[in-house]
Amino acid sequence: MTFLFATFRKDIARWRQDVVAILIWIGIPFMIGGLITLMMDRDGDDGPMGVLLIADLDDTLLSGAVTAAFGREEMAELIGVQPVSAEKGGELIEAGEASGFLTIPAGFQDAFLNNTAATLTLKTNPSQTILPGIIEDIAEVLLDAGFYLQVTFGPEIAKIRDGGPLDRPSDLFVSDLAVQINDKMQKLGPQLTQPLLGVEIVAPPPAEPRPDIALLFLPGIVLMALMFAAQGLSADYWKERESGTLRRLVSTPGLPGLFVFGKALAAALLMAIIGGATLFVGFLYHDIVWSKFLPSMVWIVVSGVGLFGWFAALQMLLPNMRAADLFTTILVFPLLMMGGSFFPLEVLPDWLSAIGRWSPNGYVVSQLTDELTSVSPWTFDLRNWCTVAAMAVSGLAVCSWRLQTGFASK
Amino acid sequence: MLSVENLTKQYGDLAAVDDIGFAAGQGKIFGLLGPNGAGKSTTINCISGLLPPTSGTISIAGFDIVRNGRKAKASLGVVPQELALYEDLPALENLYYWGKAYGLRGADLESRVRDVLGYIGLADRARDLPKTFSGGMKRRLNFGCGIVHKPKVLLLDEPTVGVDPQSRQRLFEMVEAERDAGACVLYTTHYMEEAERLCDSLAIIDHGKLIAEGTVAELKAQLGARDVLQLNGEFSSGLGAAVVARGIGDLEVLSENDNSLTLTMTAASQYLPAIFESISGAGGVVRETNLRSPNLETLFLLLTGKELRE
Ligand SMILES: Nc1ncnc2c1ncn2[C@@H]1O[C@H](COP(=O)(O)OP(=O)(O)O)[C@@H](O)[C@H]1O
Ligand SMILES: [Mg+2]
Repeated sequence: MTFLFATFRKDIARWRQDVVAILIWIGIPFMIGGLITLMMDRDGDDGPMGVLLIADLDDTLLSGAVTAAFGREEMAELIGVQPVSAEKGGELIEAGEASGFLTIPAGFQDAFLNNTAATLTLKTNPSQTILPGIIEDIAEVLLDAGFYLQVTFGPEIAKIRDGGPLDRPSDLFVSDLAVQINDKMQKLGPQLTQPLLGVEIVAPPPAEPRPDIALLFLPGIVLMALMFAAQGLSADYWKERESGTLRRLVSTPGLPGLFVFGKALAAALLMAIIGGATLFVGFLYHDIVWSKFLPSMVWIVVSGVGLFGWFAALQMLLPNMRAADLFTTILVFPLLMMGGSFFPLEVLPDWLSAIGRWSPNGYVVSQLTDELTSVSPWTFDLRNWCTVAAMAVSGLAVCSWRLQTGFASK
Repeated sequence: MLSVENLTKQYGDLAAVDDIGFAAGQGKIFGLLGPNGAGKSTTINCISGLLPPTSGTISIAGFDIVRNGRKAKASLGVVPQELALYEDLPALENLYYWGKAYGLRGADLESRVRDVLGYIGLADRARDLPKTFSGGMKRRLNFGCGIVHKPKVLLLDEPTVGVDPQSRQRLFEMVEAERDAGACVLYTTHYMEEAERLCDSLAIIDHGKLIAEGTVAELKAQLGARDVLQLNGEFSSGLGAAVVARGIGDLEVLSENDNSLTLTMTAASQYLPAIFESISGAGGVVRETNLRSPNLETLFLLLTGKELRE
């Protein structure tokens, strides 16, 4: 036991000399995570991603403004608005050919101007996750804006109602109004009572809440950090061999198994620091329930040790330091690619994600993604834990075996 | 304390160590003298459990290194030929770590590490990293790591290679101190003077074979009082025999070829004129003369016909 902890402390003390490597391992996920977040926030270049059907049964200035709000420039990249009749819209959304179907009832403008209740109907496509959520959010913002506008500018509205030429407003007028609605909404902030105008969402609520797409990247990014760390740490066996300390080890009564275990514990602590920092920021950013933090940590640390064990075993099976370093470094990239670190497993081609889910890191990513995106508490699936534990044990066993069968001697 | 019997280590067709055996006792320094590639390190590596012997038995403090490795290793300290240190771990931590590997702990370990640090002259550099040390300091730390647990059997593999004269002197004193404290020391070297100065008894090995064994005095007695005379120049074949035929003292030919002639005899200096005369009489030309009095190096020359240091 003394020797186990001595080995652990020795390696930690040695890694403290190499803070730069650790900072790089932490830096990589933050850099890549940051880039991805930036990319997600920027407008895409290639046309709208989804279609919103709007059946405007009211056909007034106000209903036109609602339609225009969805069609605004920033939104146009994400959502293409397609005016339809009520029947046609119903058919299309049932067939799953659009992301959402908004019905603006006849009398909507009147209700708004007269300050009485009116209801928009939004049907969303349950098989899609992201876009319907965005459409819902916009609809709610619009209606809130409308409500506050009405409360604040009641007299002006009345003036328009009484005198304005409201039947066929110009496009410019409509879009201006839409812009003003949003601007006002932002300035006014939270107000008073419940809006009279409401959105009724008729789509069957999906069982799971929709994860935002950046969240799908989080497990892959955490694992990217762990993979780089595991590969880097595993090179230490060759370093120790070159420095002669493995030879000295073999001539002492200290058990090679304890040595390997002590080294793995040191790796575990580094994994906890590196993975933990990444997870922590991810949890903050994506607002994930904190009760999942501890199991997530344990999950990635055990898996991280498993990856370390496998990389180390592989290194120790290769004939020289250069080959070991080159091979494991090169191996990292296809594994990261398949295992959902560059693109989430969910968006990879089916055949690739099928393979990726069974790569060691992809397996860890896919379980972690399931847990982090689910509404239910962490499910302690014994089979998953046994799998990663077996991965760790088998890798470390090979290391220990190699230490005793000639790896130590030059 | 340390016994090696019929040890053979085969690398494919090459027998790096070929059926050697010796025993070394408590409180003694046993030397293993031989040129580079003789098989010294291979022998040490087999004894320290790093290499499995092809055949033969090794026992340390009564325990067989193969069958009872952990117990045998507990009595063993190793100072390997190549440095074996954590260069990125302070000197002090190196000593603590290897002490713990040998099962030392607590106050024992503390006091032992402090003693060793003073002993190897690194007390004021204890918290520095070995990568900032000079070669000699690293060697001393390497030595310290091998003795931190007061081993009963201490293996030293060419500990003075690449060491400055002062550190070398300090190392000799430390080895002697270990011996005086009762350790059994196995010391390998290819320096005759070191073996002569340190070793109570020694074995000479070449090409993996043990070619002579005994105390320094016994080995010198094998030589008698005979000097070695090395001549370089131009010699025709059969010249050696012609010189011997002249009946000069107890002269014998050790080796000869076209460019060199090695002779041995008692009190060679007295006979030099007669030897030169007989050589030129036989048509040889002497360009260089080297006369050496008997020592382990000339014994090696006598036994193998070649120099200890190439
Ligand atoms: N791993 C190895 N594989 C093949 N030959 C080796 C190996 N190690 C040593 N040898 C050979 O064994 C012989 C003895 O080497 P060594 O014990 O290192 O000699 P020394 O320490 O006396 O200089 C040399 O001829 C060397 O080339
Ligand atoms: Mg050697």
